Amino acid sequence: MWEAIGFYSLAIFLIFFGYQTITVPNPIHSALYLVLTMIGISAAFFNLGAQFIAGVQMIVYAGAVMVLFVMVLMLFDLKSELRSFSRGLFSGGIKVMSAALLAGLAIGAANSSVAIMETADDAVKEVDVTRQLGILLYTKYLYAFEALGVLLLVVAVGVVAVSRMKGGTHAQH
Amino acid sequence: MGIDVFEFTVNLIKMIIIFLMMVQIVPLLVWVERRGSAYIQNRFGPNRVGPLGLMQLLADAVKFLTKEEFIPKRGYPFLFYVAPVVAMIPAALAFGALPLSMPINVEAFDMFGAHWGPYVFKFQSYEIGIGIVFVLGISSLAAFSMLLAGFGSNNKYALYGALRASAQTISYELAMGLAIVGVILLFNTFSFLEIVNAQSAPLNFMAFGHKVEWGFLPNWGIFYQPLGAVILFAAMFAETNRLPFDLPEAEGELVAGYHTEYAGFKFNMFFIGEYGHMLVASGLMVIFYFGGHTLWPWFTPETAPKIMGPIAEKLAAVFSLNVNTWTSVLAALLLHVVLLVKIVFFLWIFIWVRWTLPRFRYDQLMDLGWRKMLPWALFNTVLTAIAILVMRYPWGT
Repeated sequence: MWEAIGFYSLAIFLIFFGYQTITVPNPIHSALYLVLTMIGISAAFFNLGAQFIAGVQMIVYAGAVMVLFVMVLMLFDLKSELRSFSRGLFSGGIKVMSAALLAGLAIGAANSSVAIMETADDAVKEVDVTRQLGILLYTKYLYAFEALGVLLLVVAVGVVAVSRMKGGTHAQH
Repeated sequence: MGIDVFEFTVNLIKMIIIFLMMVQIVPLLVWVERRGSAYIQNRFGPNRVGPLGLMQLLADAVKFLTKEEFIPKRGYPFLFYVAPVVAMIPAALAFGALPLSMPINVEAFDMFGAHWGPYVFKFQSYEIGIGIVFVLGISSLAAFSMLLAGFGSNNKYALYGALRASAQTISYELAMGLAIVGVILLFNTFSFLEIVNAQSAPLNFMAFGHKVEWGFLPNWGIFYQPLGAVILFAAMFAETNRLPFDLPEAEGELVAGYHTEYAGFKFNMFFIGEYGHMLVASGLMVIFYFGGHTLWPWFTPETAPKIMGPIAEKLAAVFSLNVNTWTSVLAALLLHVVLLVKIVFFLWIFIWVRWTLPRFRYDQLMDLGWRKMLPWALFNTVLTAIAILVMRYPWGT
């Protein structure tokens, strides 16, 4: 029972934070709500027994990616961002589409989901989750894992190349 | 939390006490910092209020509480208020996950006319299976308090300070995480308690299929991971924003950084967070590299009950409690003192370094983090992995 109460209260908070993320006009506040959403998702993973994923979610998304997001947003001129994104037909259309997408996702998930908090028959023991995950990543899903690594490398090299091009922030004269 | 009322209550009290431990060490550390800096610089330091200036802490607390409360007019009041609270949370949560001594076994007993079954109480606020990952994740959230403070103040210098501080924090987090990977590989676990227990033995390792044991040294991580220990300790200085990495709050040169607009108790909460991080950093150093709460061969989970046994018998004769319970409690307290002595030593190193080394320039700081410590930490990880693979390979079988 306690797990169900934890899950549903967490879910309500998560939905609220997610909603605030897309509706708050101030980009910084929106990013901060996204941080709360990330931490909440980490807690949800923890609630489901995926402790390692929960920790990694917190380190990578909440701790590193979102800090960079917030830092970059702070350097923008917020007033013009506020004007361009809070009102207007274009932004309203995006909001409506996002809401429709979200509703579709929620209905789809509810339709195709099995009973909540049901564990698989061959559920691994809590302590072993990380070991099993590592073994799976380096055997069955090795190709996908390495491909993702290459993708990230391409992105990193691309960013350096773009910033060094003429007109970039690190252009060479 | 617990299966019945007794376990629930004890766990709750335990959590509060461990949190208060973290908060209460702050005034003591401030006193040691001021008196220690005075000692290093051949001055007197605060010695007027009370014996040895110890009452200075109370005077400071009164000063913090009675200062004028100030909120920047054009700032964001909610973010401005939230930032100091957020500064305290990561340190408190991370400290709660560290094991501070061996578990206490409480045997079955009768109280209030009911029978209470045997319990095992861990000497930490909560045990999470992925202890190390949890502590890393929680402490990576500390950067947000600086960002919130800088942004909520709506002040150019505070914002610059916040950006400077959070850039430094996330830069050094990478080196810190990679240095810890070596420890995880070495001990093959994420659990702090297992790491500590593995270190309460004579130095032993597998070398090409033979078990080598050197009885004159304890099995501490520092003997396997000297490079990792140095990198971790240096990164910890950057994470806690202390000299030689204290650019986030260089009062003299760069305005006060992210807490420019803060005064009184809100400023004090940033300080509690910083000292809490120091405490967590020292705890991690001790647990990973210096045997945690054990000191082989004298104080280990096996010998501590034998040392405290006679005292427990006398106490059990006076107070009507089980001898085994008393032994377990006293043994855990003894090992806790061992841990505290080690942690205090590292806290003193933190203070000692602050008054010894000059501050880095910002480009030097980034250079050290990205071009020197990160590659060395990667090298350490790869070297550890190869060494473990070669040494633990079942040669000749």
